[in-house]
Amino acid sequence: MSAASPVVQLDDVHLSFKGVKAVNGVSLHVEPGELFAIIGPNGAGKTSLFNVISGVYQPQEGRVRFQGQDVLGRKPSDIARRGVARTFQNIALFEHLTVTDNLMLGRHQHIGYGWLSAFAWWGRAKREEIVHRRSCEEIVDFLELEQWRGMPVGLLPYGVQKRVELGRALAMEPKLLLLDEPVAGMNLEETEDMARFILDIRDELDVPIIMVEHDMGLVMDLADRILVVDFGTPITTGTPDEVQRHPDVIRAYLGQELSS
Amino acid sequence: MTTTAERSPAPTGRTGTTTPVTRIREHARTRPDAVALRDKHLGIWREWTWTHYWDHVQLAGHALLALGVEPGDRIAIHSENRPEWLVSDMGAMTVRAASVGIYPTNPAAEVAYLLEDSGARVLIAEDQEQVDKALEVLDRAPQLERIVYVEPRGIRGRYTHEKLMSWEEFLELGEKHRSAHPGAVDAVADAAEPDDLATLIYTSGTTGPPKGGMLTIRNVEFAIKVLAEEGAFTDPPPGPDDLLLSYLPLSHVAERIFTTWFNASSATQVNFAESIETVPQNLREVQPTVLFGVPRIWEKLMAGVEIRIAAASRLKRANAQLWLRVAARIGDDLVRTGGVHTASTRLRYAIGWVFCYRALRERLGMRRVRYAASGAAPIAPEVLKFFMGLGVPMHEVYGMTENTAIATANRPGRVKLGTVGEAQPGVEVRVDDATGEILTRHPGVFAGYWRKPEATTAVLDGDGWLHTGDVGEWVDGTHLKITDRMKDIIITAGGKNISPSQIENELKTSPYVKEALVIGDGRKYLTALVGIELDTVGEWAQRRKLGFSTYRDLTEKPEVVDLVRSVVNDVNSRFASVEQIKEFRLLPKELDHEDGELTATQKLKRSAVTQTFEEMVESMYGGGAR
Repeated sequence: MSAASPVVQLDDVHLSFKGVKAVNGVSLHVEPGELFAIIGPNGAGKTSLFNVISGVYQPQEGRVRFQGQDVLGRKPSDIARRGVARTFQNIALFEHLTVTDNLMLGRHQHIGYGWLSAFAWWGRAKREEIVHRRSCEEIVDFLELEQWRGMPVGLLPYGVQKRVELGRALAMEPKLLLLDEPVAGMNLEETEDMARFILDIRDELDVPIIMVEHDMGLVMDLADRILVVDFGTPITTGTPDEVQRHPDVIRAYLGQELSS
Repeated sequence: MTTTAERSPAPTGRTGTTTPVTRIREHARTRPDAVALRDKHLGIWREWTWTHYWDHVQLAGHALLALGVEPGDRIAIHSENRPEWLVSDMGAMTVRAASVGIYPTNPAAEVAYLLEDSGARVLIAEDQEQVDKALEVLDRAPQLERIVYVEPRGIRGRYTHEKLMSWEEFLELGEKHRSAHPGAVDAVADAAEPDDLATLIYTSGTTGPPKGGMLTIRNVEFAIKVLAEEGAFTDPPPGPDDLLLSYLPLSHVAERIFTTWFNASSATQVNFAESIETVPQNLREVQPTVLFGVPRIWEKLMAGVEIRIAAASRLKRANAQLWLRVAARIGDDLVRTGGVHTASTRLRYAIGWVFCYRALRERLGMRRVRYAASGAAPIAPEVLKFFMGLGVPMHEVYGMTENTAIATANRPGRVKLGTVGEAQPGVEVRVDDATGEILTRHPGVFAGYWRKPEATTAVLDGDGWLHTGDVGEWVDGTHLKITDRMKDIIITAGGKNISPSQIENELKTSPYVKEALVIGDGRKYLTALVGIELDTVGEWAQRRKLGFSTYRDLTEKPEVVDLVRSVVNDVNSRFASVEQIKEFRLLPKELDHEDGELTATQKLKRSAVTQTFEEMVESMYGGGAR
């Protein structure tokens, strides 16, 4: 693994809200093709870190670099355009739109035609639409969404909605994917499906991933490296093996009984 | 092993043996640019011309030769329906090897059994899931030399096993072999004999492990002659204008007939469903002309109509209900006439066509269906009548792997509801006087079970009669009615013989019931285990603002139990008192192939289910607490 060109790099990031330290000196870097996980108890600052990377929160201190460029202070829309896509803990989809329409929305930033030619449905609009529709179909195929293509998202089972949300993030053709609790609330079968998709995204689509997740089994199985945070403070970073053996982690996060 | 060689002449008089492969070659010559197959890629239907299909069959044949496959070897195929399935199957046949279909849902343990038992040398595995199963059990199938995977996703770059090979590499290998040895495949194909093993079709095995039914080229060609060329099902026989949707497992004899063999013989166009879940959409897109379904499919389509009407606006609902009532009466009349329209049914249907039937059939994907059939398991007459009333010409047919699915069929215009129809032309069907067992004898009777001579002699007697294990009787001397599987007949403590499947099928006619198992062998009265249909009962509960979390939770709602009770009471009213269900319980989980409760063809394994839910069963007979 070359430390030369990490996809994303955080250096000593501090973020606080009215005196509450949400992120306290976190540094991390994610390499191309890496599946990086962030774990920690509730309120440990995991989602805050996501919000820092995607530009929703502005940290008071530290540096955030994406593909070698400083993105601190950039607007979320600008960072999204640079190729950071994310999914949310709570599903954020357009319930009344179909699966395909939701995916097409993910293509938004790649759409180059104006409203006038879209209205006239002529020339560039038509040509581009076919290209975008094709890439949405590739995602339908990739995430096995065929049977729900034309259905309003609101009517679909929870696990499928999560998959559609992932699909919408993929439709952006991201350079980095942030997954916020991708399997929360899923049953075993849905979790296994999702795990398979996450691995395929890393391996087949070659998209690096940062994942926040509570399901320890999933994290330990999938992640290349793990960052453990507690009350905003980094405890350690390492491979699943290293993290599981780390005494502070056992104490702070996994509980005492595991060490006995 | 008995052979069928002495009993019948070769099916054709041409030089060389006609096989499905030579038929495909002929289509490629006479109609090179016509569409043979269609599959959906990225949401768009993609066409395979006969030239393209034949080219791939040849490449697969050359590749198998390059891998050292010899006549008589077995090639296993573990995949959903897709063009590569047919290419592999026919590719094997071009080099006189036999295909072995494995159900996509088969868990690793069964895959191990099938690979070991068949002794397959090459496995065509669809994707990572199926490759994983094969790699897991490789030590039990040491003779397996190659695993060819069709979908590289998740495998390429991640797996390094030396037996793995991608579909592209497989075709490239064929390409190289073809340039080095042009004509090698044709030479082998032209040497085919009627007694060549064409395929092993493993029976679902509701008891014991699956057995591989050996079908020879003679068997297959007889099926083609009777069912396709002579049109024992459809009238007129299937032809190039017919469209079919391929969606049931090709490892089953029925789908093999309707997909592969109809296509090879009559140049029908095969459309592959994207998956079993997308069948309703794909039906609408394709609008097939010939449609075969198993009872479960027809029940689900019928339930779909009822559910959609219940959810429609009031005006639409009233309109649909009115015309469905008319359709029910048209269905009644058609049942009386054997499926022949009268002036009165024609008139009612024509008016209904304008207001309802045309739109409904379009939505169901049955607008153009000229022949529909149900088979592979018993079906409730109500379901057939429902579709007949809608103008879908519905026919129940009967056959099994062991007779290449050739036995009886309801012929268009001579339908007798509740029977499986008349014997096919040129086929002997007999009901044993003593036992009531149905026997068949014809050139389609299989060559025996693979490597199981005792099992073969148990079903195939010295005179060439196949003992089907089904009990039946003649209705009006022409039509055969099947009572039940011989081993499933219930004899109650009172000594009464009862056929559970009839009661079960009546229960399953309800849109809310997915599975039903009637119990009562050696007992004082009948009871039932009922599995609810999650979709419909879930929606029913939601409409009543009944919250539920899981399947099990839903089955424990008193309202749901009451709902099923009303279904049971309704069915009971149609049966004599000894045949009525006195108690029932709802199954707490959906039955599953992987848990060993269903066979690969989704048939219920009675003993496994009663064993798993033994306490529940005993509680209905006063034992054990619930």
